[in-house]
Amino acid sequence: MEGRPTDGELFSRAQRGNEAAYEEIVRRYQDVAFRTAYVITGSAADAEDAAQEGFVKAYRALATFRTGAEPRPWLLRIVANEARNRARSAGRRHQLELRLAERFRPGDAAPSPEAAAVAAEDHTWLLGLVNELSEEDRLVISSRYLLELSGEETAAALGIPEGTVKSRLSRALARLRQRIEGGAHA
Amino acid sequence: MPEAADLEQRLVLLQAEIDWPATPALAARVRARIAAPAPAPRPWFQNRWAMAAAAVLVVLAALVAYTPSRDAIASWINLHTIFTRVNQLPTPSPLPSGPLGKRLGLGDPTTLERAQSKVSWHILVPASLGRPDEVYLQLPPQGPPKGEVTLVYKSRPGLKTAGETGVAVLVTEASGTVDTQMFGKLLGNSTTLEEVTVNGHKGYWIAGQPHIFFFIDANGQFRDETLRLATNTLLIDYDGTVIRIEGDLTNAQALEIAASLS
Repeated sequence: MEGRPTDGELFSRAQRGNEAAYEEIVRRYQDVAFRTAYVITGSAADAEDAAQEGFVKAYRALATFRTGAEPRPWLLRIVANEARNRARSAGRRHQLELRLAERFRPGDAAPSPEAAAVAAEDHTWLLGLVNELSEEDRLVISSRYLLELSGEETAAALGIPEGTVKSRLSRALARLRQRIEGGAHA
Repeated sequence: MPEAADLEQRLVLLQAEIDWPATPALAARVRARIAAPAPAPRPWFQNRWAMAAAAVLVVLAALVAYTPSRDAIASWINLHTIFTRVNQLPTPSPLPSGPLGKRLGLGDPTTLERAQSKVSWHILVPASLGRPDEVYLQLPPQGPPKGEVTLVYKSRPGLKTAGETGVAVLVTEASGTVDTQMFGKLLGNSTTLEEVTVNGHKGYWIAGQPHIFFFIDANGQFRDETLRLATNTLLIDYDGTVIRIEGDLTNAQALEIAASLS
């Protein structure tokens, strides 16, 4: 039995028309693609459409994928482009409201030490501040930290040069820090 | 006061706690979609057009039936360009400000030598205009599958600066398989389209009323940020590489530039 094929092997097979190989590629990247589209559109339904359409378009453009290149930025660029088109054609963007998972929210029934409760409250508050940032700041912070995209992937997702990611991120962090200080949270 | 690293660390910690919507099972659905035959040549154009009209255009163009001959359609496909006749040309939104490459959607600035190392075809330069003042390269996915190179001639003796581009001549080159579409054009009733031959290569001379021009990317998507008015343009098919010469030129000037390509 062979081991799990590498991304490179899957892309080579998909480029030769192997649809099963491409299905496996989608399975590997659907989480990050869908969440990236969600951060851009603010709507799970739009993100689903954008991710699906993006993967189909990427398949049709497989000939342009260079052997040895990183697949994530290439796929994310296509999906994110699709997500932006959708957000634009809808005329308005949904306000993105990221939330903490149930088990991490403060005041839950689960018994937690006081320290954990404080941490949960802190995280809820911090996420609230991220949600309140301008769209540009929220997108770059969400991409880099909440989606854990690399600099190259963030550039692909936002459709900006990689060199711009660093400066945009640094300005967004400075503004978030201002809000934290302004909020005087303990 | 939180230090930079501390804030970044706190954001990273948040990542594991986000309540993301459940990822839909896309793999099987995408597989079903790609197993179906690819869509007919350009059905997207109507949809894209509708989207562009809503997003970009001030006046909605009334598309009219245009019935070219089968031969003409074949030529156009070889020229990687979609032509559409409209009764009334839409008004494109103002071009973005900034450097030329960004304003006209030409891609990244580069040099002739660097561009040549990135594309598969031999970049043709019009000897009559000399070395270009600027060179831009647009690679996929923004550009067509094999990339696209634009040579910029800011001013040349005897040539006017075109109001649509702010430069004297733009020479855009791109290569692709026969069914790849790279450019789109909307022609008004007062725009003329004339078949020409340059050094044995077939081409079209588009003149008169400025027409609408836009780029199409590697995914077949019309890049709406590149939708703009274009002045007189000569399109030539050089054995699979399509050359687009745009400027406030007379037919004779454009043909002379094209004839000097080497």
